[in-house]
Amino acid sequence: MHPELPINPPSLFARLARRISLVLGIGVALLVSAAWYYADTAADKAYDRLLVGAALQMAESLAVEDGKLSVRLPASAFELLGLADRDRIFYRVIDTNGQTVTGYDDLQSPSASDNNSDAMRVEEGTYKGEAVRITRATRVLADPAVTGRAYVIVAQTNEARSALTRELTLRATILVIVMSLLAFVGAMLAIRYALQPVEHLGRAVRRRDPHDLTPVSVNVPRELDPFVGSINYFMGRLGERVDLLQRFIADAAHQIRTPLTALTAQIDLLGAGKLSKADRQHFARVKERTGELSRLTNQLLSHAMVIHRADSVQLEPISLVDVARRAWRAAVPVTVDPDIVVSFETPENRPMVLGDAVSLREAIVNVIDNALRHGAEHRLEVRVSAIDTQAFVEVEDDGPGIPPEDWEKAMQRFSTSKSHEGSSGLGFAIAQEVAKAHGGSLSFRPRNERGFVVVLTLPLYQKEPSAAVR
Amino acid sequence: MRILLVEDTHDVGEAIAKRFEATGHAVDWETNGRSAAEIIDFTEYALIILDVMLPGMDGFEILRSIRKSGNSVPVLILTARSEIDDRVSALDLGADDYLVKPFDFRELEARARVLMRRHSGGEATNLIKCGDIAVDRATRSVHVGKREIQLKRRELTLLEVLVARPGRVFSKDELLDQLFGFEEAANANAIELYVGRLRKKLEGAQAHIVTVRGLGYQLVSGDAS
Repeated sequence: MHPELPINPPSLFARLARRISLVLGIGVALLVSAAWYYADTAADKAYDRLLVGAALQMAESLAVEDGKLSVRLPASAFELLGLADRDRIFYRVIDTNGQTVTGYDDLQSPSASDNNSDAMRVEEGTYKGEAVRITRATRVLADPAVTGRAYVIVAQTNEARSALTRELTLRATILVIVMSLLAFVGAMLAIRYALQPVEHLGRAVRRRDPHDLTPVSVNVPRELDPFVGSINYFMGRLGERVDLLQRFIADAAHQIRTPLTALTAQIDLLGAGKLSKADRQHFARVKERTGELSRLTNQLLSHAMVIHRADSVQLEPISLVDVARRAWRAAVPVTVDPDIVVSFETPENRPMVLGDAVSLREAIVNVIDNALRHGAEHRLEVRVSAIDTQAFVEVEDDGPGIPPEDWEKAMQRFSTSKSHEGSSGLGFAIAQEVAKAHGGSLSFRPRNERGFVVVLTLPLYQKEPSAAVR
Repeated sequence: MRILLVEDTHDVGEAIAKRFEATGHAVDWETNGRSAAEIIDFTEYALIILDVMLPGMDGFEILRSIRKSGNSVPVLILTARSEIDDRVSALDLGADDYLVKPFDFRELEARARVLMRRHSGGEATNLIKCGDIAVDRATRSVHVGKREIQLKRRELTLLEVLVARPGRVFSKDELLDQLFGFEEAANANAIELYVGRLRKKLEGAQAHIVTVRGLGYQLVSGDAS
């Protein structure tokens, strides 16, 4: 019928925390990538400028002497490049004829076509298996002996710029992570705070008296209104049901009992005196059946009543002796067989129980009624007692009792047993229902030489529950 | 004795009225709650039998107004109601007894008789003791130690007679007069029957009914056996 609830239902807090961490994680990754990209670009720009500057200085230093291109590399250019102290520098000077004047002659020019002379380009490349940045400066020579374009190619390894990139990226990453952690902690606190009203509401609903079916009135944020609305809607419906059931039982009680009483009244008026012998037998049977019907009607109504009261009546401290005495007076007819000794015994102290007097009386009445109808031959004793934390109402009779194997069956509704004439009806079922609703129990004691005992056990009412804890 | 019956179901009212009239009581039968309340104000009754669900004014309201005006007339409530939502019972409102409908008519008659007798027996607690036997003549209840014992009418009368003069020997004829008066024909065997039942019901008490051969019975206090 019901879908199985997962053992550990997901918490809203955990779900939100997971989502937020995911978003923050993606954000951190994106930001770190961006930081790396910008750091890389910035480092390239800075070192490229030095590289270009050096290449230009070197190109500037080219001169034509004796009709030949001479190279006197300026120290300043190497100083400039020396700022990146761990990097190695490769260069190559190419004369107008395309011959290498000096440097590594296997250093390739970055781009083949070089018409766009003005813009100094810096490119990625590899030289001797190492990643390098390469640039080329052009010197236009207009000497009569040497005319044309000479080139200076300079390459530099990437260590310094990589180091700069790493450092910049690392710092940016630290900042991003610190910010993200702050954001995460802040978000968690915010979620806790935001979820507080849910807990408040839960506690308010839990703390309510289960018999209170009025709408919940707790201050909650607007977002929880539909939730509270649903709770109140169900409370309302439950309340209506309870009222309806109550009205139904009340109506049924009056509407059935009144004609039934009229029927018994008419049977009583009829009397057996004027009837013939055969009719007298029929009359006796009608009378007996009417009695049975009356008893059953009362038991059904009483069963419905105690079930309903268990859910709707506030328990209060009551004297068990008073309740039991009233039950005893109501259950033992004045017209009982004069040969049965009927007694009621009370303890010195007055045991108090937390209970509903009407339901408890009904339970005890039913147990006594059962004993009178099916048990007692010469003796019926009702005793109230209390030991430690429990109070007892014992109903003992000297009848045959119920054999232990039938005990369970006897508690069931409309059970019949061989040792009992007819059905015990609902008597024990009612008493058991009431006992359960009071946190107690209904039990039997095996028949001994004195008699058979039915025991209603109830927890004693502790006047100050806090005193027991201390 | 004069009894007021307030019952709006005709079939039921008729049967109750007939039963009590047959035993020599005068029954005023009302079917409306309001008019019943008015009658109670100026008429004295030995017993009021009151239905709860009534037109005009319900039985509980009538009961409340009776007790509020200080009237201590015995009231027996007949109820067809379920106590599904009741906070107070008829007894809490001052009823002396109640019966749930449908009831046994013999039981109604018996309970009514108990109430009328208790009322004529006087108001104040009238406690007589002998050993650990205590008889409260006002509430007509009997205790042996802490046990309350239910006695039949004649058993109680017999005990009252014996307990009033412990140690005195009552002859069977004396007891016959006390128990049955002069209107009923009863023989000495009846006394033996009642004494026997009473002895059984007083078992375990510190006072005993002792048969004084040829003379009668006496109540002896103490554990002498």
